[in-house]
Order: sequence, then C-alpha cells, then structure tokens
Amino acid sequence: MAATAIDALHLDKATADRPPLTGLFLKERGRDVMTADDVAALESTIDEVVDLPARRIVIRRDERVRHSSLLLEGVMCRYMDDRHGNRQIVAFHVPGDFVDLHGFAMRYLDHEVATLTRAKVALAGHDRLDEIVTHRPRLTRLLWFSTLLDAAMHREWVFRLGRLEADGRVAHLFCELHARLAMVDLVRDGTFRFPVTQIDLAEAAGVTPVHLNRVLRSLRERGLMTFRSGEVRMLDIDSLAALADFDPGYLYGGGPNMMGKDI
Amino acid sequence: MSASPGHPGIRSDAGRATAEEGLVMLDGPDGVAVTMTAGAARRTGEALIAAAGVAEEQNRRQG
Repeated sequence: MAATAIDALHLDKATADRPPLTGLFLKERGRDVMTADDVAALESTIDEVVDLPARRIVIRRDERVRHSSLLLEGVMCRYMDDRHGNRQIVAFHVPGDFVDLHGFAMRYLDHEVATLTRAKVALAGHDRLDEIVTHRPRLTRLLWFSTLLDAAMHREWVFRLGRLEADGRVAHLFCELHARLAMVDLVRDGTFRFPVTQIDLAEAAGVTPVHLNRVLRSLRERGLMTFRSGEVRMLDIDSLAALADFDPGYLYGGGPNMMGKDI
Repeated sequence: MSASPGHPGIRSDAGRATAEEGLVMLDGPDGVAVTMTAGAARRTGEALIAAAGVAEEQNRRQG
C-alpha cells in the first residue's frame, strides 16, 4: 500500500474484551466452522487497523504487496483503467471481504484497489499468513475459499456484462449487493446503505452515467427499487431477480461445507 | 428476448432506442447497452438499414 493512502495507523491491537476484527469474514459462508483457535490465528495476522478517506487508491497495479486488506467498514472497489483513463470497476467490496487476499499468493496486483467511501481496513501481514498456510490447513482452505468466492463473483460479473442489458445489469448488481450485505447483517427490511455515486455504478455496470440514471428511474417507476442519497431500498426483490437472471448460488451462502461435508 | 431459431446468439428481436438528455440509448438485444450522440446514433441507424438491405438480398439469393 502506498504510504500516502494511510491516514491513521496503529490503532489498538486485538484484546480479549473486544469483538474480533475478523468477525465478519465469511459470515454465513463458513465462519461457523472456524474454531476459537482459528479465529485467534486469523486475528493474529492483523498488524494494524487503518482509517482511509473516500476516493483513495490503496494499492496500485504492479506494486509489491506485503499485506492483505480485510475491509471492516465502508465500500472499496477494484478497478482497471483503459488507455484513455476511463475506469471500469471490476468488483465492489463490502465489510467482511478480504479485498486483496489474492495478493498474498500473487505478490502484486494486476489492477488498482481504492476506497469509494471512508473505510476502516485491517491489514493482515503476509508473513503472518504464511504461518497459517504452514500450520493450519483448514483455515488455509477457508482463506482459499474466500479468494475462490471472488473468482465466482467475477464470473458472474462477466455474465452480467456480456448477457444482460442495462436494466438487468443494474438489477443484478443490486441483487448481489443485497445478498452480500445481508450475509454480514447490513440489510434492514430490504434497505441498505451503499453510498457510492451513480458514476461508480455506471462504471461497474458498463453503461454511461446518463444510461444508468435512466435505468434507476425506470426501476423506481416500476416499483422495483430505489437508490437515493446512498440508500438502496429493494421494493420487489423477486421481480428484480427475475429481471437480472439472478441466482445467488454463486455467492456460496452456507460456505464450503454447504453440502453437509466437513472441510 | 429471443434468439433466432437454430442460430444461438443471433437475435431476431430488435433493440430498443430511447433518447435522454440529448443522447440516444440503445438497449438490447443480447447484452447491448450503449449511449451515443444523436449524430452517431443516426449514422449507426443508417449503417444498420444499409446492412439489413444487403443481408436481405443475400438471403434472397440463398433462397
């Protein structure tokens, strides 16, 4: 991470009387199979917790990375620029996501990582992750599973951009966010905060901002959902899912042992 | 939305064109979602009509 990306360093280390920093990691997707020892081992990887401002590049492409970022609060994204500097957002990240865990194995990233809102991030040192890989095969499989979830979501994003039209793409995006945020208990009565701009959404959906704006209006007028001031209200999830061809199976709710077998 | 029978991926349904804020948006078929200036939309429309004429002629020749 570029030193300039960090506003505040070295917050309190883990203590016995506060909830684990990693508490949202794989929540409803396998966390329940983690033993207290696993949780403690994962907690021990956190070198520091940093508060980041909105709109800050956290990791630059081709930069050597020595830690991975577990998002605690806020929204982050991965993105790529074309040769004209136009941005394509290739992933949104929400609390509980190990945003760049793949950097542990790859050592550098082929894309940028940035905050979209203010964010709180726990930084897991790669040297500490090395110890987990060496000594804890089950926890290693869960970490591996986490990166495979990213791959599953990327496949779905390819499908979304290749097969769906503008309204379906936007509906799919919000169906996914709704499902992911529900897993980390950040949805109330079909409503959740996602304080990004329409430009961000357009860059993720592969449409222009004016096109995105028209789609949002259409979805609102059809009584399917609203997006106002960073708040999303899912008014008719079933119809949105049908419009989006959305099947949440690729999010692996239940985790790697969802088929009833131990990992 | 429907694919042309016997030709997966080839669409027999038309895209939907709308105007918004002085721009033209084309939605569909099959994943298309583009925004064009009015001029670009007009040229695209003319090119599509010309190509459709050629394709119809090719179909007639093939019987």
